[in-house]
Amino acid sequence: MDVQRKTYVEDLDRSIYDVKDEFRYSYKADKGLTAEIVKDISRRKNEPQWMTDFRLRSLDIYNKLEVPVWGPNLDDLDIDNIVTYVKPNTDMKYNWNEVPEDIKDTFERLGIPEAERKSLAGVGAQYDSEVVYHNLQEDMARQGVIYTDMETAVREYPDIIRKYFMTVVPPHDHKFVALHGAVWSGGSFVYVPKGVKVEIPLQSYFRSNAPGAGQFEHTLIIVDEGAFLHFIEGCSAPKYSVNNLHAGCVELIVKAGARLRYSTIENWSKNMYNLNTKRAVVEKNGTIEWISGSFGSKVSMLYPMSLLKGEGAKAEFTGITFAGEGQILDTGAKVVHAAPYTTSNINTKSISKNGGVAVYRGSLSITPNAYHSKATVSCESLMLDNKSRSDTIPVVDIRNDEVDIGHEAKIGRISEESIFYLMSRGISEEEARAMIVRGFVEPIAKELPLEYAVEMNNLIKLELEGTIG
Amino acid sequence: MSIQIKDELNLIPVKTYRWLNVNHLKIDEVLDKEIKTYHKKYADEGNHENILIGRTNKVFSLNKYTDGFKDEIEYGVSKEIVQMAEGMNNAGIFALLKRGKEVNQPIRVEYEMDDEEDVLIDKNIIIAEEYSKATFVVDYSTRGDEEAFHNGVMKVYAKEGSDVKIIKVQRMNDNSYHFDSNVAIVEKGAKVSFIQVEFGCKRAVTNYISNLKDESQSDVYAIYLGDKDRELDLSYYMNHIGRRSISNMEVKGVLKDRAKKIFKGTIDFKLGSSKSTGREEEAVILFDKSVKSDAVPLLLCTEDDVNGQHAASAGRVDDDKLFYMMSRGFSREEAMKLIVEASFNPIIDKIPFEGVRGIIREEIHNRLVMEVKR
Repeated sequence: MDVQRKTYVEDLDRSIYDVKDEFRYSYKADKGLTAEIVKDISRRKNEPQWMTDFRLRSLDIYNKLEVPVWGPNLDDLDIDNIVTYVKPNTDMKYNWNEVPEDIKDTFERLGIPEAERKSLAGVGAQYDSEVVYHNLQEDMARQGVIYTDMETAVREYPDIIRKYFMTVVPPHDHKFVALHGAVWSGGSFVYVPKGVKVEIPLQSYFRSNAPGAGQFEHTLIIVDEGAFLHFIEGCSAPKYSVNNLHAGCVELIVKAGARLRYSTIENWSKNMYNLNTKRAVVEKNGTIEWISGSFGSKVSMLYPMSLLKGEGAKAEFTGITFAGEGQILDTGAKVVHAAPYTTSNINTKSISKNGGVAVYRGSLSITPNAYHSKATVSCESLMLDNKSRSDTIPVVDIRNDEVDIGHEAKIGRISEESIFYLMSRGISEEEARAMIVRGFVEPIAKELPLEYAVEMNNLIKLELEGTIG
Repeated sequence: MSIQIKDELNLIPVKTYRWLNVNHLKIDEVLDKEIKTYHKKYADEGNHENILIGRTNKVFSLNKYTDGFKDEIEYGVSKEIVQMAEGMNNAGIFALLKRGKEVNQPIRVEYEMDDEEDVLIDKNIIIAEEYSKATFVVDYSTRGDEEAFHNGVMKVYAKEGSDVKIIKVQRMNDNSYHFDSNVAIVEKGAKVSFIQVEFGCKRAVTNYISNLKDESQSDVYAIYLGDKDRELDLSYYMNHIGRRSISNMEVKGVLKDRAKKIFKGTIDFKLGSSKSTGREEEAVILFDKSVKSDAVPLLLCTEDDVNGQHAASAGRVDDDKLFYMMSRGFSREEAMKLIVEASFNPIIDKIPFEGVRGIIREEIHNRLVMEVKR
């Protein structure tokens, strides 16, 4: 029998995220979902009639659609036990000092205001269902950049919101997005005017504190012609014994020649069902870049879609998934090439350990008129033990001959040969293993904003343990 | 009587997004056909020193040979299709490769349908005893243009150290149907190679599952030629059960005119399949705008100490390459044909009969050069 040593990779340190704050709120909807609750949410938000109607229509669709028959099992998710709307005990603030102490403490612990001082052009913070803080640097506002919470946007920019709201992701897309349409609350609205380059990133941070609650934030970003924006989304929640649900929706509109970089670091606690829907529509010569890190949640189903609608549009997706004990992270990317000369590039890495399940699920569709499109997909999976599971489930659908498509995937573990080679060069075994895992995630890590890259490196801390394989 | 296909066919082992329509194939057609006796001779029967060849639909008990299949219940295109082939077969061979013996001459099995005998339901069983070795060439063809229906099963039980090579050539006419279910159980140190040529039929639905035990090897080499209104649904599943098992899958094809193809290839590393290797490659050359090409290359893994890889590619023939060849005096069609042949040849060359190789090359020439010129 060969005696093998295995690399032991520690779980992510969740101590910061798992701090529970006393659950105080000014209003909490009843459990479950009825037209009454939906109307009530809308009334409390002082919404125009069209939005109330939209919510009710979505509720109708929600009741008609079935839960997906593919993917992770969602039987444990009982929507009647999820509180859809929790209003924290504060109103929206534009000055950090006015945010209540306990909520402020939470975000301080997560490093949000500090990040704002250092490296962000604007920050939004959502606590449970409502945004509690929003701020944008003055020079950005002067250039016409709009960065506000969704509720304010519905009131103040009704024309834009009515035109775009849930058009990129319509409520009949799937059951959870219909649910989102009915009970959405909070989230951010960003508009970057023509030609404006927002050089430093904007960040929204979503924190779910209430037990057994759902978070349904809606993010709508419009980057107008020739403009540029880097948007960072961070998510976390403390762990409760009841299941929480996150069914957010992100709609991104990238106009001609514009570029949007959308980074997400998701670190929900391990009782969270993260059933999030993200989609970008990219017009002529526009570029969407997704950076996605999935570390938390109990079950994730997340497949950001890029719809390349204009000639020469580009999509890039860079993702890393780390599934530990008790987690099923079913993630990936979808790209639809719907115009000529479009290109896409998907690059993902996944690590599974200690019984975790990491699944890459994706699709690549080339429509008949998308001639001269190019696409590459590359997925790599690393298994750290044989209690875990790692699946790759891609679909390539081509309806046109003038294309250049490549797809490749690899699975395996750290090879003993590489370790041996590095050791022959005078590197210690521990360091060799650490180097290989760091090298595995490096292409992704370097795409992350600095503070997140540092965080991820801390998260993937290596330790060695001698075991017999 | 008529033949009706109601089942969902060629289900992928794990489902994915429904809007892509790749989870299964639905045909829902009723064929006005009757299952009758198949009279033609399709193989040489006999009990030789190294092999016994008989017919499966003759009344004699196969039970003592087929125990090995007991564990493996689910296989094939669909339950209904397999039941039809298992229960209502009108042809098929039973081959017993004797222990430690090698059969030097490849064994030919030729099924030919025509307007009289237009339904073929064949059940083929190959039992390879320890350390035996043989090659089979199974040919499905039609005479004339009448619609024919073929539904077959092939079960291979390769015992320790045996080596079985199966070559299947399907070149039925454009109006016909082809359903083909294959299962292999590859015991310790055994090797099963499955070489498939899918050239014909209006609809071809094929399924191959290989169960790999310790130190076994399973290879699939397939080529397909999808042109006109052909619809192909090809499924391959490498089920790594044992340690140090090896699988290779290489599928190459051409899509032309309005042809549609779905390729489903799965490598599944089960817990306990440590030190196994699985490789999968699909490459398709696209000729026309109106084709539809789907690929679902799955990699499933519950064992860490394995090495799995898959790659899929699709595209047109490179314009520069084509231009160069045309500048050397080849017509466009001839140049395209040469490029396709270059891709297919390594697989065609694995067929041990010059005659069969010739038929295949001629077919490629007819379909890519002659018919285009006409």
